[in-house]
Amino acid sequence: MQVDVRQLLDQLDLFGCIQCGKCTGGCPVSPTTALNVRFLIYETLVNALPDVGHMEELWDCTCCFTCVQRCPKDVRPAELIISLRSQLVESGKVPGPVGDALMGIFRQGNPLGFAREDRAAWAEGLGIKPSQEGCDFLLFTCCSSAYDVQAQPGTKALARALQAAGVDFGSLGTQETCCGNEVRRVGEAGLFEMLVEEGKPALENAGGQRIVTTSPHCFNTFKNEYNLKGVDVLHYTQLVAELIEEDRLQFSGQTEAVVTYHDPCFLGKQNQIFDEPRAILQAIPGVTLVEMDRNRERSLCCEGGGGRMWFEGTNTEQRLAFQRVHEAVETGANVLAVACPFCLAMLADAAKVQGLEDRLKVMDIMQLVDMAL
Amino acid sequence: MGADKPAALVIGAGISGIQAALDIASAGYPVYLVERESSIGGHMAQLDKTFPTLDCASCILTPLTADVPRRPGVHLMTCTEVVSVEGEVGAFRVTLERQPRYIDVTKCTGCGDCAEVCPVEIPSVFNLGQDTHKAIYRRFPQAIPAAFVIEKHESPCKNACPAHIPIQGYIALIAEGKFDEALQRIRDAGVPFVGTLGRVCGHPCETICKRGERDEPVSVCALKRAAYDVAATEDEPQPAEVQYEERVAVVGSGPAGMTAAYELARRGYAVTVYEALPVAGGMLAVGIPPYRLPRDVLEHELSYICGLGVDLRLNSPVGRDGGPSLASLREEYGAVFVAVGAHGSRELGIPGEDLPGVLHAAPFLRQLGLGQEVEIGKRVAVIGGGDAAIDAARCAIRLGADTSLLYRRSRAEMPAIPEDVDATEHEGVHMEYLVAPVRVLDGDGRVAGIQCVRMELGEPDASGRRRPIPIEGSEFTLDVDTVIVAVGQKVECDGLEEVVAGRAGLLEADPLTLATCIDGVFAGGDAVTGPSTVVKAVGAGIEAAESIHRYLRGHDLRAGRQVSRTPPEEISVEPTGDVEPAARAQMPELDPAERTSGFDEVNLGLSKEQAIQEAQRCLSCAVCSECMQCVSACKSNAILHDERAERLTLDVGAVVVATGFELMDPRIKPEYGYGVYPNVMTGLEFERLSSASGPTAGEIILNGKKPEDVVFVQCVGSRDPHTGVPYCSRVCCMYTAKHAHLVRERLHDSRITVFYMDVRAFGKGYEEFYDRVKHERVLYRRGEPSEVHRRGDRLVVCAEDTVLRRPVEVEADLVVLATAVVPQPDAGQLASIIGLDRSEDGFFRGAHPKCRPVETGRAGVFLAGACEGPRDIPDAVAHAKAAAASALVALRGASRSGLS
Repeated sequence: MQVDVRQLLDQLDLFGCIQCGKCTGGCPVSPTTALNVRFLIYETLVNALPDVGHMEELWDCTCCFTCVQRCPKDVRPAELIISLRSQLVESGKVPGPVGDALMGIFRQGNPLGFAREDRAAWAEGLGIKPSQEGCDFLLFTCCSSAYDVQAQPGTKALARALQAAGVDFGSLGTQETCCGNEVRRVGEAGLFEMLVEEGKPALENAGGQRIVTTSPHCFNTFKNEYNLKGVDVLHYTQLVAELIEEDRLQFSGQTEAVVTYHDPCFLGKQNQIFDEPRAILQAIPGVTLVEMDRNRERSLCCEGGGGRMWFEGTNTEQRLAFQRVHEAVETGANVLAVACPFCLAMLADAAKVQGLEDRLKVMDIMQLVDMAL
Repeated sequence: MGADKPAALVIGAGISGIQAALDIASAGYPVYLVERESSIGGHMAQLDKTFPTLDCASCILTPLTADVPRRPGVHLMTCTEVVSVEGEVGAFRVTLERQPRYIDVTKCTGCGDCAEVCPVEIPSVFNLGQDTHKAIYRRFPQAIPAAFVIEKHESPCKNACPAHIPIQGYIALIAEGKFDEALQRIRDAGVPFVGTLGRVCGHPCETICKRGERDEPVSVCALKRAAYDVAATEDEPQPAEVQYEERVAVVGSGPAGMTAAYELARRGYAVTVYEALPVAGGMLAVGIPPYRLPRDVLEHELSYICGLGVDLRLNSPVGRDGGPSLASLREEYGAVFVAVGAHGSRELGIPGEDLPGVLHAAPFLRQLGLGQEVEIGKRVAVIGGGDAAIDAARCAIRLGADTSLLYRRSRAEMPAIPEDVDATEHEGVHMEYLVAPVRVLDGDGRVAGIQCVRMELGEPDASGRRRPIPIEGSEFTLDVDTVIVAVGQKVECDGLEEVVAGRAGLLEADPLTLATCIDGVFAGGDAVTGPSTVVKAVGAGIEAAESIHRYLRGHDLRAGRQVSRTPPEEISVEPTGDVEPAARAQMPELDPAERTSGFDEVNLGLSKEQAIQEAQRCLSCAVCSECMQCVSACKSNAILHDERAERLTLDVGAVVVATGFELMDPRIKPEYGYGVYPNVMTGLEFERLSSASGPTAGEIILNGKKPEDVVFVQCVGSRDPHTGVPYCSRVCCMYTAKHAHLVRERLHDSRITVFYMDVRAFGKGYEEFYDRVKHERVLYRRGEPSEVHRRGDRLVVCAEDTVLRRPVEVEADLVVLATAVVPQPDAGQLASIIGLDRSEDGFFRGAHPKCRPVETGRAGVFLAGACEGPRDIPDAVAHAKAAAASALVALRGASRSGLS
């Protein structure tokens, strides 16, 4: 299947590419799959009608945006992949699980296919008020944070910590809908536009001046793609670090643990939030923070972004999350702390599959905070 | 050379500046060559070999640098920067600022004896931190000028010390085990009370100590004590070298008076000290109890002062009790220093204060100090929160009384030394914070108790401390039979009325010179400031001595004294790298149970070993410690520790700007792990590593191992608008080829990989050189690496080999980054000083990119070398020669038109 991507050449300024290979050289999935985005750009340039029909590896991209970060010439290689995915989506050539997730979002507002009316079930008994009553912060939970039983403890821990610090916050409850960050990245531009169109007024009029998200993915799209007016967007690590800095969140207990921290791509590489999560961990009494060799700008992707939460990829043998949990164990840590529900899912599963469950617990930063409150 | 010829100014003495200066001088015009570093040669002096001929950089540069001081007509000025350039072509007036080198270039022989004895070691700037040298150093062995230079900054601790004691100096000496020298260093700074201050100082230096920002401040006070305790037995005063005829009288033998007496005696004056009491030392003797300051220490230091010939007269009041009047002293002596202290007591102002059984701290402590009997009861309340209150309470408990201390604010606001407050608590004094006395209760004409009220803290008052406010209805009574009032002291100024000012009954003196309203009479210490610390009194003594010396010698009292000393909290120090955390030394103490049975010293002092270890915790944040060892070591008297920056002006006809370039800090590209992995280095660092004059004498060796795999990464930061370097840095392709050659030459069996995007070998002989290097088993792989990380003890370079069309990982023991050539960080500042244009890349812009490559927008100002844009050496030299030729045209025109 050939697609006409001539308009992309200008739109993505592909002629500026100098074919240096920093994109492919830094791509976390290129070494184990057929994906070579540098070559894809070249192919697109010399033959504006690439045959994408057989390019299953297009779905391997995790949209970690390492290629975008590293490109010296401002070409945004991952955006070419997203655009090519769009062509596939338009012609209905979407891997089954991706299609299911998109359908779930369209129908129930979440990719997991759970019922919309159950979205706030995690918060039962916590006494979180509807944001429409007026509040300083709107707490926006990612679909995973709300529905995924593995992620829910972290979500609850965050809510409890905000309450302990006396933060005035509310939630959209069952009116909360998927942010669409991954929807855009799998190439479903139309659905993403719809989500923005519907979501924007809800977020702007939710009653909070600041939105605090559980997931770096929601944070990223709200902050950089929604063009929200009159509201600030924060990832929870920013807010919690601020509460600790201002002594509003105080610890009375201890969490005895050697912790290493995994930088989520959408928080670190893409939004340069490296210090706040570490500041939180270092403030927890009893926690010793150790670093993996690959950290901050050189962090390794967990392989859960860009739709990969729903699609296995072309190489199911060598997963980045497998490598990552071994790197975590090497540091001597007994806890791998994350600040993203996707990273949590990918890395917790990897620890299980790699038989490291006894040696390494994968936990959200807020679970560690909660234990020391 | 005609003296009438106009001169040229060349700014920057790298290869371009040197070449331009030599050319102009060769044409017969004088040249001022100005360089901000302490030696010339610029970046070229740091290079190993040069491409494509592989000439040794030093071998081709040294003949030029060595020519500079020898060439008639070239005036070299190092450590100097341009401040302003006024006027016009043919008649510029240039202002320069010369930073102190602290070494007289004309006297220094470059022997290096000074560096042998210098205790402070710092990372070498010339070798880019790959080795260290002393705080007194020469940038590199062949440096021109060959004179040494001292790296020195303001010291937070010294600036915080009221007596301006060179703290870093004696600490550096102790760190080397040189206790005698440490003690002498303090004495030489005008401080006779070393053992005393080492025991009783409030040490504001420790509060500001930069080590405290890492873990805990250095235990400065304890180290001062250690200098004395270890070395004092060998300690003999050195008689003054000159003797003046004038005699000086000092009134009061406390810390201010005796310090002034010491300093004046050292300077050659005969000093007589008048002391009203039967003992010397003022408050040191009759205010501070012996468990804090043993009498033998004080007596030893007083006798040390008297050993200089100071005539100490006890039982000799001035202006009262039959003693001589101030006026008669003034007549008899060339100058008088009044330092009578503050021995009077303030009242509480509450009912019952006059009852028998109510004592005041100052006389109570004085009587104890004089060895007199003091009667106190069984239950004592001490009122106050200063040092005197603490001392009174600790004395009372030693006399066997059940003692309480009442203070109206909380512990945090207490002015007493915190360590002493701790000791007071440990010794069993009941501390009653936030309590104020209301009345002393009368029982049969004696103290029968004290009624108190509890307080709470309100808003801060004028002193910045929170004001205590009584809590209504919280009154209570303490059952005591003795009350010791310690709420402040005042000056007893009978007989000194002439110099007494109205305010608070204090003597009035000029804050800078300590001069009073009577000519030749100076005053200082507690008598002027009100009750304060010993170290402030010592500081006043030093200042008084300086003033009296100036007064007697007819010098200006003020000149040069108002040195703008940066407040210590505003001093920012260079990051001192990784510091191994280490707790500060704990001073052993007498067991609390043993303490209260007598007046034995409580703090037992650090052992010699503890002191050395503690001194080694000093970060040397001021770099040079002013320990003065170099001064003793230098046989040619070349060291000028007091040198200051100075400004000079020059008249020149033309200016050549040759300020060169900098290299980008590759931390801007965190993906390469520079700063994380020691074996990821820049090209310039590699030059030092491979240079025969470098830290390894030219062996390419890291951590004791020869690298087996070496990877070079080109274009780091260059051709990348994100880093602000959209341009090609022009020299990296060729120097990387040269580096690859050098690795092959030294490490015959190594594997060498160069990652490149395209190779730009455009100069004469360059392509041939690149070909040659490739034939030396250097693998060029096309692709720009994206990341470096660690695997085991090796590095992994991740890239796409774009020829193979697949990502590759190359293991390496050494990764060399070809970092971008960027403008000097302060190019903008120089541009605005001179009026130069800069192009978008930040480099200076010539008047026309093709036809006027060295001229600038300002007539008579020319550009030479890499300050205009990245250039290799041949191009820089050619450009410099063009600038020199253009400058000569301007100079020639100026001499013709008579503008010179």
